[in-house]
Amino acid sequence: MANVLRNSAKFGFSGVLSQLSIHSRHGRECVSPCFSLQQRNNSTSTKIKVDLDSSTGVAVLRMQSPPVNSLSLDFLTEFCINLEKLEMDRSCRGLIITSTLSKVFSAGLDIMEMYGKSPERCGEFWKAVQEMWLKLYGSNMATIAAVNGSSPAGGCLMSIGCDYRIMADNPRYSIGLNETQLGIVAPFWFKDTLVNTVGNRAAELSLELGLLYSAPDALKIGLVDQLVPEDQVLSTAQDTMSKWLAVPDHARQITKSMMRKPTIDKLLSNREADITNFVSFITKDSIQKSLRMYLEMLKSRKA
Amino acid sequence: MANVLRNSAKFGFSGVLSQLSIHSRHGRECVSPCFSLQQRNNSTSPKIKVDLDSSTGVAVLRMQSPPVNSLSLDFLTEFCINLEKLEMDRSCRGLIITSTLSKVFSAGLDIMEMYGKSPERCGEFWKAVQEMWLKLYGSNMATIAAVNGSSPAGGCLMSLGCDYRIMADNPRYSIGLNETQLGIVAPFWFKDTLVNTVGNRAAELSLELGLLYSAPDALKIGLVDQLVPEDQLLSTAQDTMSKWLAVPDHARQITKSMMRKPTIDKLLSNREADITNFVSFITKDSIQKSLRMYLEMLKSRKA
Repeated sequence: MANVLRNSAKFGFSGVLSQLSIHSRHGRECVSPCFSLQQRNNSTSTKIKVDLDSSTGVAVLRMQSPPVNSLSLDFLTEFCINLEKLEMDRSCRGLIITSTLSKVFSAGLDIMEMYGKSPERCGEFWKAVQEMWLKLYGSNMATIAAVNGSSPAGGCLMSIGCDYRIMADNPRYSIGLNETQLGIVAPFWFKDTLVNTVGNRAAELSLELGLLYSAPDALKIGLVDQLVPEDQVLSTAQDTMSKWLAVPDHARQITKSMMRKPTIDKLLSNREADITNFVSFITKDSIQKSLRMYLEMLKSRKA
Repeated sequence: MANVLRNSAKFGFSGVLSQLSIHSRHGRECVSPCFSLQQRNNSTSPKIKVDLDSSTGVAVLRMQSPPVNSLSLDFLTEFCINLEKLEMDRSCRGLIITSTLSKVFSAGLDIMEMYGKSPERCGEFWKAVQEMWLKLYGSNMATIAAVNGSSPAGGCLMSLGCDYRIMADNPRYSIGLNETQLGIVAPFWFKDTLVNTVGNRAAELSLELGLLYSAPDALKIGLVDQLVPEDQLLSTAQDTMSKWLAVPDHARQITKSMMRKPTIDKLLSNREADITNFVSFITKDSIQKSLRMYLEMLKSRKA
């Protein structure tokens, strides 16, 4: 498995997750003192910063959860609360999502939420992952992902949940749904979102091999829509957003819903079953072993 | 119809089928003496040769049924038996399919199985065609088609059933579902497999016109994934297979099943009706006439 990971993306999941395993808040070696003090729902250390410009109607949501914007239960909860507030704010018509962390958009689902946790806790976590996707993919706002760093797995899911993806033109940044490389499986709604974006054949190849695409390759297959120099990602996102907001809201929203409702409904009508499936799968001894081996491999690479 | 066929692929269905009509085992003019002796289920002349390397876990299945690897009832039966053996062999994780015949991967369904046959015999044949596709498209093994020659109709279906297609970079080789050119119709599951591979619009165009694509054009539309010089085809397939087998088996298999199950289930839940439809269609006087005219055209071209 180590070989696969070495041969995969130049700076990818394994790279960012190695930082994760060092900085994990579950008692491992901590570099940053504030991590060991971090409590759940600590409002003095917000993982997400939102700036809403009511004159333009555009909100910028900045992910700022070192080291790698892992999608932990706390992070997802904060994300969903912020999304809901913006959704209900009539002055907010568009949302740009980006990262404050160097080289990383989001490293994806926090593996520590899946390793060594009770079935109930895993279920709580998975429900939050579903909620993030449902709120984002189904949002009435025009949404743009300003992908200013690597974005494997759950990070990729977040960006394909948006209406449009602009990525930094840096071949060292990679993006993709690489779950199979870790011995786990992207659920059907991850797959549906990917199929809706790059087509069936590309999605099949991508998912089976767990491919991470460099930014240029991601553009080639349509996983992202545009590449710009990193220092222009946010400004380009703002310019692009003006085009989106120039379209009459109701027409754009009804059209978006028409496109996305079948995919969303597939999860809505299977939410509990999907959680049950996830929990049974992730708590299997063989899968826990896969995750443990992966974490150990990261630790030994870091050492 | 002759015009359409002359204007279609440079070396295509018509070319290989002209050889077929000469070498048919149903009593026509035989060039090769062993053909007139060939009995059904003659185990001294296997149409398929399989070499399994248990150390790598990779099997190579070579189609060796002159003149054009026609998918006859015997061939399909042998193919399915071999596939089932490999599927049940725990040491076999990957399968490469290729041809030993020069310039031909497979010319597709044996027209002699559809012309002048009883309804029962047609039904038996069609069930075997379904079985080939179900076993191949739904295989747990990683499957790669090493397409080292032309591959119309059923040959194209076989290659589409694999996970990945590498074709010889020769513009004289062609591939596609050209049924409509012969006045017959690709069934819905041929169509589904094509749509899953090249997308809806390309599939619609391809099927309605019965297009045969040269290898370079096939790459352009994504009908094949890669082109290499013919002498590098098998080695490239082996190298590619190592990448596929580097992904944890269970994760790759569950993902493959998630992608393909709906398409497979569509046939499974309609198998008998599909056979009935095929038999009613193919035994129609007008369709038999189309097939007869096609065979006569081939005979006159050869003469």
